[in-house]
Formats: sequence, C-alpha cells, structure tokens
Amino acid sequence: MESIGNGAAPIEVLLVEDNPGDVRLTREAFKDAKVHINLHVASDGAEAMSFLGRQGDYAHVPRPDLILLDLNLPKKDGREVLGEIKASPALMSIPVVILTTSASEADILRSYKLHANCYITKPVGLGGFLEVIKSIDSFWLSVVKLPREEHS
Amino acid sequence: MTREPPCDLEREAGHVSVPHASTANLGEDALWDSEEKYLKLLDGIKDYAIFMIDPHGQILSWNTGAERIKGYKAEEIIGRNFSCFFPKQDIERGRPEEVLRLAAASGSHEERGMRLRKDGSRFLASVTFTALYDRNGRLRGFSEFSHDLSEKTKSEAKYRGLLEAAPDAMVVVNQGGEIVLLNVQAEKQFGYSRDELVGQRVTNIIPEGFAERLIADGTRSAAEALAQQIGTGIELTGRRKNGSGFPIEIMLSPLESAEGILVTAAIRNISVRKDAELHLAQMEGRYRGLLEAAPDAMVVVNQGGEIVLLNVQAEKQFGYSRDELVGQRVTNIIPEGFAERLIADGTRSAAEALAQQIGTGIELTGRQKDGSEFPIEIMLSPLESAEGILVTAAIRNITERKQSEEHLVKTVRELKRSNDELQQFAYVASHDLQEPLRMVASYTQLLAQRYKGRLDSDADEFITYAVDGSTRMQGLIQDLLTYSRAGTNGKALRAISGETALNEALASLRATIEESGAIVTHDPLPTITTDGTQLAQVFQNLVGNAIKYHGAQTPQVHVSAAKNGGGEWIFSVRDNGMGIDPQYFDRIFVLFQRLHGPTKFKGTGIGLAICKKMLDGLGGRIWVESQPEKGSTFYFTVPERNGN
Repeated sequence: MESIGNGAAPIEVLLVEDNPGDVRLTREAFKDAKVHINLHVASDGAEAMSFLGRQGDYAHVPRPDLILLDLNLPKKDGREVLGEIKASPALMSIPVVILTTSASEADILRSYKLHANCYITKPVGLGGFLEVIKSIDSFWLSVVKLPREEHS
Repeated sequence: MTREPPCDLEREAGHVSVPHASTANLGEDALWDSEEKYLKLLDGIKDYAIFMIDPHGQILSWNTGAERIKGYKAEEIIGRNFSCFFPKQDIERGRPEEVLRLAAASGSHEERGMRLRKDGSRFLASVTFTALYDRNGRLRGFSEFSHDLSEKTKSEAKYRGLLEAAPDAMVVVNQGGEIVLLNVQAEKQFGYSRDELVGQRVTNIIPEGFAERLIADGTRSAAEALAQQIGTGIELTGRRKNGSGFPIEIMLSPLESAEGILVTAAIRNISVRKDAELHLAQMEGRYRGLLEAAPDAMVVVNQGGEIVLLNVQAEKQFGYSRDELVGQRVTNIIPEGFAERLIADGTRSAAEALAQQIGTGIELTGRQKDGSEFPIEIMLSPLESAEGILVTAAIRNITERKQSEEHLVKTVRELKRSNDELQQFAYVASHDLQEPLRMVASYTQLLAQRYKGRLDSDADEFITYAVDGSTRMQGLIQDLLTYSRAGTNGKALRAISGETALNEALASLRATIEESGAIVTHDPLPTITTDGTQLAQVFQNLVGNAIKYHGAQTPQVHVSAAKNGGGEWIFSVRDNGMGIDPQYFDRIFVLFQRLHGPTKFKGTGIGLAICKKMLDGLGGRIWVESQPEKGSTFYFTVPERNGN
C-alpha cells in the first residue's frame, strides 16, 4: 500500500488480482496517472472482503473509491465478491470495474446483472494493457464524479 | 303319401257312399233308388268322375265329371265293364277284379293308379270304390269316385309362380328321373325350350350325379336317399342343348305332391366362382413359390392366430420343422404382440385392426424351439384366400442390426463426448495458456521499451526474438480460441439479407480496402435464414483473403449468388489475385495451414478453417476453383430454409 502522487486528496483504489505480474503492470501504468492514487492490493476474494470489512489486519484501511476486480480468483471467486459488495448497503455505492482475461459473454452478462459498473477484458498485448489502465485513470479517476464517503 | 285335398267333395262323396246305414228302414229297391237319386245330384259335378258299377264291374251310371275326365259319353259307356279304364297290363294281371274284391271285402277300397282315357291317354287317378249292399247284406254293386291327379291344382299353380320367381334355374324331377316342371331360367341356362324338356330324362341336362341321387338303393329308401342330399350344395356338370358343359351347383329339396315326392333342384351356374377359385388356387400356388423364395422367414397366420403356412427360412429361424408348426398357435414362436394384432376389439374390426399394422415394421421377440429368444422385426400384409383373410408376416432376425444399432449409439455417444472434450480442451488450453504467455509477452515488451540500447547489441537482438516469438504465439492462441468457439454459439437462425451480411464484412475491412484500393462489387444477394453473424464473418474472411493475396493488378472482388437444384444458395467470391495451385485446394481449409511464410503475408492460417467450420455448422460447404496467376473463386453453400 503505497501512496502515488502528491495531491491533497489521494484516490483510494483496491485492486483484487492474484497475478503479481498484472499487479506490477497495473502499478507501472498508474505511475503516469494524473491524480494521486493509493493502490491497495488484495490477492484473493476472501482478502478483498476482509479489506472492505476492515477486519483483522485491515482495521485501519481506507474505504476504496474504486475497485478493480478480477473474476478468476483463489478462495473466493470474483463473482461472489461482486455479489457481496453490491448486496451490502455500506459498499454498494463503490464503483466496481471488472478487469479480467475472460471475454465470455456469460461472464459479461452475469457481471452486469450483479451491478458491475463496467466490464473490461484484459488486452493481450502490453501496449493495450497500459492503454486500458490509462483510460481507467482518465475516465473513472478524472472524468467521473465518485461518491465520497462521510466516515472515511 | 298324402292325398291332395279336393276334400269337401270327397267328404260329401263319403257321406253318399254309406247311406245304407241311415236308410235301413227303406225297401232295398227304394234304397237303390235313393242311391241313384243321390248320384243324380252329383251329376253336375265336373271335377270328379262318379259312377256306379254292378258287382261284376258293369257300368250303371255316368256323371258329367266322368265324361270330362274319361272322355266317354254316358251312352257310350253305360253297360260296358269298368276294366276298360285300366291299362292293358293291369287287366292282364287281373287288377280290375282284384280291386272289386278288395272293396267288397272291406266295404271300400282306395288307390292311386294309372287309368286310360277313351283316347288311350293315361293319367294318374285317385280312385275310391265303395261297396253297396242291400238290406240283407247282399252286394249290389259299387260306386266309384275318381279324380285326375295330373290336373293342375291351385297349389301347383302357386308353386309354378314361385318357381318362375326364383333367381336360379329350377327343375322339378320325379322319382323316375323325369323332368316334371322347370322355370324360364332353366330354359335359358340349358338352352332348351320348356316343351323340349318336360317329360324328358333329367340326365339330358345333368348327365351324372343327380338322377342317381333320386333313386333308392339296397340300403335306403328314396326318401332317405334324398334326405341325405337336402340342402347341400352338390357340384356337378350341366350340359346345354348345344352339348357344351358348365359347372353347376345344385341344391335339392323334396316336394310332396299328388304324384308322390318330387325333387326340386335349384341349379346355379358356378362358372364364375369356379374360375375365381381356380385363379385363387393358382395364386396360392404362386404365393407358395414366392414364400419359399423370400429371404426372410415368412409365416402365414389365420385370424384365429394359427399358423397356416411357413417357409424354410421360418423353419431355420425358429428351429422347428414345418410339421411341428403348421396348425399351431403363432404365440409359440412369437409370444407377444403379433396374435393380439390380428384380433378385433371393441373399437375395430379384424380388418381394421390389421389395416393399422400393414407395412409397419414392428419390433418383437421371437422364441426358438429350444426356448431361446431373439429380436425380430415383422412386417404384416393381408392375404385374401379361400379360407378368409390371412396375414402374412415377414419375420426378420434383427439381432445383428440391434447389436450394430447399439454399437452405433455407443459410438456416437463416445464421439460426442470426445468432441465435447476436445472443444473444451481447445478452449481451456488456449485460454489458460494465454495467461502466462501474456506475462511473458508483456514483460519482454516492457524490457524492450525500457532497456533497448542500454544493454549490449546481443541483448537487444535476444529481446527482439523473445518479443516476436511471444507475440506470434499470442496470435496463434487467439486464433485457436476463435476457432474453438466458431460455430458453437448455437444462435437462433433468422432471415438475413445477404447484402446486409456482406456490408457488415466490408465495414470491418474498410481500412484494408482503402489501403489496397480494392474494388469490391456484388450482384443482388438473396435473403436467407441463417446465422447472420457467421455469414458476415465468412464474407469478411473470403473478401479479406481476396484482397490480401492480390496479384499485380488492383484487387477486384466480385460477390454473387445463385440457387442450385438441391435447395441451397451458392455464394461465390471471385478475385483477380495470385490464384492457388490446385494441389493445395484441400490444404488451405485446414487449421494453421499456410501457403506462404509469415514474412510475406501476415496471418496464422485460420481464416478458411474458421469459414469451413462455420459452414459445416450451418449445413453448408466451401470449396475453391483457381489457377495460379488467374485469380480464385471461393464458393460456399447455405441451405435455403423457410422457403427462401
């Protein structure tokens, strides 16, 4: 959990991703971000839910402003994590971006039915991947007005 | 023998014949006179001959009936002896005297016998003699009442009317074998006129078998002989006047008449039926031949469920000899499902029950003599025969077919499973391979971006190959994934215009078309019912290839469509490109098979393989006609559906 950028109000992003290579690439891509981003990483679904529930080691973590969620995760599947977030009155207002290798139409449909805010298939090439992370930065973290949590 | 009933008169005559009892107080002459008076009263009677004779037979009186029947006038005959009414042979036998003796002995005598008329003609008469006595019991003479039995009575006339109304030829024959009566049908049937037959022997028209039946032999009376034949249809041969013979069936019935028992024969010409029977017999003979020639076991069963006929294959199939099966119940060899089909139930007749089964292959179980069972298929067909409707069952042992069917079902199931597995494998493998490969590719690319020129030239070269290899591998995996998904969507087929699909493809190819300056034209394309997305992808691959593998000239691509006779649309995509050597026509549709190296044309060799897979899924085909340097034409078919 490191702080990126020096802005007055850093944006808290939770990346739920089990592949360290993708974590590193995401981190690399956010280096050029226009805003200050605090990137938090949970490597499986169970850890993500602990983070969001501020349980155990996560008692003092901030409430994320945006969640980047992979679908295929160990322990607790991304689809379950999505369902739980969107069923929770405390968490449902947090935008969730699905970022996954799956291009299956079934996964896409199911995610939107579970109220995912958008669904992105990871591009196979490095250039494409960096491009996607940059657009997440420019759209979700710059253009979009995110709900601010009162009790953060 | 019964007497015909001119009864009132006879009874009256009876009264008259015994007046001596009731007039006992009169003198004998007076008595005689009174007898004479009575007779005078009877003089006007025409139907009966009534006259008196003296004890020796001399005729004393004569009435009108006697004159009419016997032909003598009173003056001619009175005084003559009554024996002149008897045929010569009877006189020689002393019959007249005997008759009088009998009458004198018992008071009266009754008989039937032949009598002669004045003109010498004979007739059958019924005669009653009554002895007349005086007061002292002395025989005074006899009265004779006689009646001509050959005269038509009213009942005979009625009978004749019935005879004429009968549909069959009818001939009435007496026990002497002479024809007494016949109807107009008999005249027609035999070609004689009535006059030519009456009185003739019946053997003239039925030479054998009829007359013999009328005659009693040593062991039976005529009545018995006849009784044995009554009502039965006897098949004989009739002979016409012209000598030709024809088959007849006669039905006999006795007819009691004044002349004794006559025989009425109803004679039916059965030529047509005989012909039909002969035909049927021939057919049955032929049928039997066919039965033996049939490759299947054949069993013919009657509607009672009994085996009537079978062939040698049936013997082999069921392990019985013919003798063991004929007459046995078919349930012995086909325990269930066959006999039931022969039987009518409440809602259908036997014919209907059968009709429902005709021609359909019914799978049942056959049972061999040793009790072992085997699967059979039977085909039923009705067979009209003299014995009624029979059912022919062709029975096929389908043990092998059953086994091969089971084998086939199993094979198909296994094939489907392995196909599903393969599909799943291709998808999972390509998908799961992609993840680590993405890491390799991303990080070698990151390495290249950040460290190019900062290491030595060897490092730069190595990194370049690593990036290139991983990029190509990503392309292959991507294509493999696409290929494994192609045609598996199972989307509902909808009506789509061919032009819409082509335009969709051209939109995706816009950059390629613009870069190459290609000219793509098309004829009017039909609307077909298919998966529009896949059709567009096929167009995109074919038009894309046509542009990609161009020749020296500007690429020109033309798309057209035509209907073929087989209910399909044939689409064609013709180009003026570099063409293809015919030896590669098949190879180009195989996954990852390419005719060119990656340096000349980019690509993995998946486009046509995907087209083929999609068209296979849509029930179509794809092929190519081409010559090197002369362009190629790719054809593909799509079944026309919903009447398009």
